[in-house]
Amino acid sequence: MRRLISPAAAQPRLSLGGRAKFLFYMAGGATFLAWSANALELSGGELFHSLPVIGRYIVRMIPPDWTALDGLWGPTLDTICIALWGTVIASAIGFPLGILAAKNLNGSRVLRSSALAILNVLRSISELIWAIFFVSAVGLGPFPGALALGVNFGGILGRLYAEAIENVDPKPLEALRATGASRVQTILFAVLPQVLPQIVSYNLYWFEVGVRSATVLGMIGAGGIGFELVTTIRLYDFRQTSAILLVILGLVTLIDQASALLRGSIVK
Amino acid sequence: MNMNVSTTNPVISGASAEKSPIVSLVNVSKTYIRGKLVALTDVSFDIGHGEFVVILGPSGAGKSTMLRCINRLAEPTSGQIFLRGNEITSAPRSLRKARQEIGMVFQQFNLVTRLSVIMNVLSGRLSYRSTWRSLFYSFTREDRAIALECLEMVALGHKAFQRADTLSGGEQQRVAIARALAQRPKLILADEPVASLDPKIARQVLDYLKDVSQRLGISVVCNLHQIDFAREYAERIIGLSQGRLIFDGPPSALTDDILNQIYGSRMESAVG
Repeated sequence: MRRLISPAAAQPRLSLGGRAKFLFYMAGGATFLAWSANALELSGGELFHSLPVIGRYIVRMIPPDWTALDGLWGPTLDTICIALWGTVIASAIGFPLGILAAKNLNGSRVLRSSALAILNVLRSISELIWAIFFVSAVGLGPFPGALALGVNFGGILGRLYAEAIENVDPKPLEALRATGASRVQTILFAVLPQVLPQIVSYNLYWFEVGVRSATVLGMIGAGGIGFELVTTIRLYDFRQTSAILLVILGLVTLIDQASALLRGSIVK
Repeated sequence: MNMNVSTTNPVISGASAEKSPIVSLVNVSKTYIRGKLVALTDVSFDIGHGEFVVILGPSGAGKSTMLRCINRLAEPTSGQIFLRGNEITSAPRSLRKARQEIGMVFQQFNLVTRLSVIMNVLSGRLSYRSTWRSLFYSFTREDRAIALECLEMVALGHKAFQRADTLSGGEQQRVAIARALAQRPKLILADEPVASLDPKIARQVLDYLKDVSQRLGISVVCNLHQIDFAREYAERIIGLSQGRLIFDGPPSALTDDILNQIYGSRMESAVG
């Protein structure tokens, strides 16, 4: 076996045409980067000159003022709850749409492409924009934050569920169809057991992302720890800001580790 | 297309329930890709109550397509199929009811391997229960009793709560037989049930199939490509070659000449 993959075969040499193509794409990429740097007014000099300002802010953040932690437990819990309920809502939206979008379960092309279109819309509008929308619709607080996460993540999870469903072994489905089981029964007894580990793993991962995202959502008025953070910035109380940032860092690390551990323990 | 159908319709012929066939195929044809690939041509036969019939033929002869037409996993292009006198080829409403009476066993067992053995067998009861009830993965006491009894019939009661993928191939196929039995079927279709098992285990599985057929009076239609197994287990053999029925009779009437017709030049590979 080993002899079959000789070093020469493992490293095919670029043909002349291939090399020209490679140079062409590189040049194209470089040109585009240069043009976009110009559009950004990207300037090394400006960054250099503002370094002292950035430094002054950092100095004003030290040492962290831990009195900021008084009354921070509530908002921290809010943030976790936003992520938790965001993921639950996302599942509730994503699961039915994912089933409708899966080629192997839904024979109707119209239904399938409409499910895919809905998922696309939910996914391509960022949770920040959804949050602005829901804050103005239902008012300030954690609830619009959970809704925003749920809707955006629903679009993502639905797409992931659909892909997981499309990859199931079709043979047990056929066997259940042959027993006279209904379509829903077939999904419950042949599809769901096959995709459940993946679904749980996706949900845990997007809950993690949700915690990070929920801190940002707080900053635009959707409650939680982010709201406290932006308040301290507005009050120029940067020593409190740094304390809250450290809490966020600890929280996100903790959740990531716990969720990674749980995901790793799910048997395939 | 089939103007003579009514004369062979078992309902119109007025036979009694016991003597009427469990399944009748009348001029069944099946083509794929808009008629370009012919799988079955004009196949007609009846299967009687409790009969153990082996469909013999080389791979690609249309055996699998034919079985699938009977429970409509495949749609026949023309012709009619009757299940206990009721036409099932043109009755989508009663399809679930028809399938309930037909168990099926597959070459690859087709179990849900992540579920327990007993859950797989209980799946055979789904057609008796409402979708609402199934949402809670709930079965009746009767269902559970039937499932255990069916598992005992294939001597696997002691493995009921193991995950299906912890069982050997032969055991998995026996679970699949139990799942079919849990439907309380009148007919079992077995599509190359032993093709992925070694000969010793294959014999065991065929013994169980034959046993339940005799004990419970269930008709079995079994696709096989091994001639020796067909001769040993069949009460009746139907020979298929290139989608046509070319033999229908007892194993004793299966001469080398007919085998040559069924297998053609592929004879050697079928025997070996």
